[in-house]
Amino acid sequence: MNCRSEVLEVTVEARQVEEATLALLHTILLHRSTGKFHYKKEGTYSIGTVGTQDIDCDFIDFTFVRVSSEELDRVIRKAVSEFKDALSSDGMGQISLEFYQKKKSRWPFSDECIPWEVWSIKVSVVNLANEQERQICREKVGEKLGEKVINVVEVINRHEYLPKMPTQSEVDNVFDTSLKDVQPYLHKITYQITDSLGTSVSTTMRRLIKDTLAL
Amino acid sequence: MAHFETEYQRLEASYSDSPPGEEDLLMHVPEGSKSQWHHIENLDLFFQRVYNLHQKNGFTCMLLGEIFELVQLLFVVGFTVFLANCVDYDVLFANKFVNHTDSSKVTLPDAILPTDVCSAHIRDNAFVIFVLIISGVFWLHRLVKFLYNVCCYWEIRSFYINALKMSMSELPYATWQEVQARIIEIQKELQICIHKKELTELDIYHRILRFKNYMVAMVNKSLLPVRFRLPVLGDSVFYTRGLKYNFELIFFWGPGSLFENEWSLKQEYKRGGNRLELADRLASRILWIGIANLLLCPVILVWQILYAFFSYTEIIKREPGSLGARCWSLYGRCYLRHFNELDHELMSRLSKGYKAASKYMNCFLSPLLTVVAKNVAFFAGSLLAVLIALTIYDEDVLAVEHVLSSITLLGVCITVCRSFIPDKHMVFCPEQLLRVILAHIHYMPDHWQGNAHRYETRDQFSQLFQYKAVFILEELLSPVVTPIILIFCLRRKSLEIIDFFRNFTVEVIGVGDTCSFAQMDIRQHGHPAWMSEGKTEASIYQQAEDGKTELSLMHFAITNPHWQPPRETTHFISQLKERVHREAAGASSETHPFSLSESEPKSLVANILAGPSTLGSVHFACDTSLTNNAVTGMPSGATALRSLSPISSSLHLRGSLSAAHRASGFTGRAMTGSGTDARTVSSGSSAWEGQLTSLVLSEYASTEMSIHALYIHELHKQQSRGDLSRHTWHRQESDESSDSIPDEVRSEPSTRSRNFPRSQTFPATLPSPGASSTSATSGAIVGQDGEKAQSSQRRHSGPAADHFGTAGKVVRTARVPMGGWAEDGKASSRHHEPVQEETSEDELPPHIHKVT
Repeated sequence: MNCRSEVLEVTVEARQVEEATLALLHTILLHRSTGKFHYKKEGTYSIGTVGTQDIDCDFIDFTFVRVSSEELDRVIRKAVSEFKDALSSDGMGQISLEFYQKKKSRWPFSDECIPWEVWSIKVSVVNLANEQERQICREKVGEKLGEKVINVVEVINRHEYLPKMPTQSEVDNVFDTSLKDVQPYLHKITYQITDSLGTSVSTTMRRLIKDTLAL
Repeated sequence: MAHFETEYQRLEASYSDSPPGEEDLLMHVPEGSKSQWHHIENLDLFFQRVYNLHQKNGFTCMLLGEIFELVQLLFVVGFTVFLANCVDYDVLFANKFVNHTDSSKVTLPDAILPTDVCSAHIRDNAFVIFVLIISGVFWLHRLVKFLYNVCCYWEIRSFYINALKMSMSELPYATWQEVQARIIEIQKELQICIHKKELTELDIYHRILRFKNYMVAMVNKSLLPVRFRLPVLGDSVFYTRGLKYNFELIFFWGPGSLFENEWSLKQEYKRGGNRLELADRLASRILWIGIANLLLCPVILVWQILYAFFSYTEIIKREPGSLGARCWSLYGRCYLRHFNELDHELMSRLSKGYKAASKYMNCFLSPLLTVVAKNVAFFAGSLLAVLIALTIYDEDVLAVEHVLSSITLLGVCITVCRSFIPDKHMVFCPEQLLRVILAHIHYMPDHWQGNAHRYETRDQFSQLFQYKAVFILEELLSPVVTPIILIFCLRRKSLEIIDFFRNFTVEVIGVGDTCSFAQMDIRQHGHPAWMSEGKTEASIYQQAEDGKTELSLMHFAITNPHWQPPRETTHFISQLKERVHREAAGASSETHPFSLSESEPKSLVANILAGPSTLGSVHFACDTSLTNNAVTGMPSGATALRSLSPISSSLHLRGSLSAAHRASGFTGRAMTGSGTDARTVSSGSSAWEGQLTSLVLSEYASTEMSIHALYIHELHKQQSRGDLSRHTWHRQESDESSDSIPDEVRSEPSTRSRNFPRSQTFPATLPSPGASSTSATSGAIVGQDGEKAQSSQRRHSGPAADHFGTAGKVVRTARVPMGGWAEDGKASSRHHEPVQEETSEDELPPHIHKVT
């Protein structure tokens, strides 16, 4: 696929799943969001401001920074809690944040969504026996997440492909403009639980049809 | 105040410290995406389409071609059904009397049945309806595919026009290398591929040829069950489009295939942990696909027959001889294909070798058949002559029943017979022809060299180069045979296949998972017997057979001169090129006799160029040039060479060459002349690239590649003769490690022993073919013993065969491949010095012993 992919792996307790994934997703989105664009006449624009906010975790010794946008937080929280519910205790799962671009197509085809960066967070859940272990785990996970955050920042600092800044008419193809106070790159969050990692029937069928159509 | 002067002046307001207002915010100018081709989702498909559109000469040509194909299909089906059901043949054959009131003439409309009768005919015939339904489905499928393609390729068309700035009208005249260079250029600004700033040629090739490279590698490592030892037919190859389609379905894109999508292998196949389980799963999948094939067999069979009928009737009608003609088999294309070689490159290479190859095959016409055919042709011819003479005298003869048909039949009979009668002026020189073929096809098993005149070699070559009729027959048989092969042969190999994909898949950034052989890394996949001795770290399992890695690398480097290979690879390429150049130079200016005594094969290129088989002519040429001061005897030599030169494609080049030589008075040195030319040519492709258009360049490139291929083969031959036993043993070992059973490698020893009945006179005990093949599968000790025996026998028989070869060849002069590759007058001025220097021909006789 013509798309970068980064994988982050964390091992956490069941109750830490939500916070850990939230921390990582928010960290990535913090760097992949801008202020709202205000377009001016001659094809120029100015960028609004973005507020940030420190969030302390309850179950992990960790504090992370996120964009202070309630709306964005709500969207992500919803996805993450679905993921958490689907994930059984001591199971494995993967939640991924995919940044994509839209490409307008002509009539018979629908718009294409072309991903350009995918972050996959692989979560494995462990069960701990006693309180002492939990305490250690709490610190350990905090440290680990700190490392991951630095990891994310390193990746983002690399000078790599980002969609070009769009003109006013194209802004919807690159940025998610539905939020009032912040404007992240278009993204979607999907998750998979390990049992269903194989290709599903529908994708196979789609590929089969596509392949028979292709030359 | 006005007159008050001071040094203090008002500062020019270079900044403003007014509070930030709306209009003073930091402003940005959006770049916008000027074109829609930044960041393409599926680059594999995209590049494939770009390539296809280029190969089909632009959008309009492609569109028209496909529309006509659809119409043709409709027409052929409709017309066939019409002929079968709606024509009253009794009227046509005048068996039934038609009563007309006005005239007695029978008109065509009389013979056509009325519509209702016609449709009743069709409705009654279940088979016709079946055929109609199948072809209807087929046609609809084609139609949908066509519509889909039009949409996709329209986009590619606008990519060509807007991004690559090439109009559709100039596309047919642009080479792929030009298109590719532009793609690489626009990657820099548009970032089609987001992983890297710059694309390389290799990236593009990898993407277009991802799966083909895997197939080539699997055939190279004899993993695919395409060679069989059949009871009656002997060693045979069965590889059809249907089988190929099934292989691809299983490995690459079918439901549950090994690949997740076009660019990546599924994760679980990359880990060795549960290979057994995966192999089981693959085996059961193959079983199911085999069963599905079996169930669909009747449908596919009818489809194949229709397809063959539609595609070939027209050709057969146009040129009836085409069935007797040969074509490169599907297996041959796979076997001969380099890694990273695009279709058009392969096809042009094979087409260049076609003439020589068919000549070679024609050498082996059975004398018995010839005698029979000659006589049949004689009798049929005399009958025909009488009939024609009678017809000329009075054309009423034609009205006699069956005269016209017997004339036609006799004509066909004579045509068939003629194909069994060899050309009167053809000379039997297989060794030489095989060398010419090698110059183009670049690969051949080791044991062919020196055995070109043997029937076994011919049979094996015919596996690569089969009759068109056989090709069609195999295609027709394929629906029945394919499920059998899948279920009984491929299924057994599932573990090896899983291992193959795990071991030979590498993930390349910006390309995805590719076959590691296609990386053409000498270190990883080089074969010590093919020039990469000391450079390769590959285990036997990892080595590509037949020098595929080395030759592919050379081929790729030569066809893409701008490509920047990794460092060690560059070293290998430049070293090899330098050696070839030196040899080429050495060939023309060999003044030091001691150079021959060196262990290094000094004058390889000379030998290649002259060809061991043509030493006679060299000798002759040299002698005369010595005695006659190079002027008198030579024209005859040159013309002889020209007439015998097997490369007809380069005949005109040769012609110009020898003309140039004659003009410069150095006709006698045609051989060495072409040697220098070769050098000029090869340096041309590296140094003159600025001046030459890429088309010219690619023509030079194929020549240069041929020289390199021959050189590598020659070197390999010498090298492997040096340590023959080890080499064979390795091959055997590699067989065992990869555990592939019916392949040419394994069959090699046995065919070898069959190849040399002469060697039975030698004391070495001859293991029978059966014994050798069992020894391969059983214990290593037995195998080694067998091998030793065989190799010793081979060592004995080698020189014997060569002796035989050279003995015969003095008569058949002529020269070989490179004959025509000399280009224009430039060369002749270039090689003056070397020619003058080289006067001593004493070292030529040693050549004979050396090379052959």
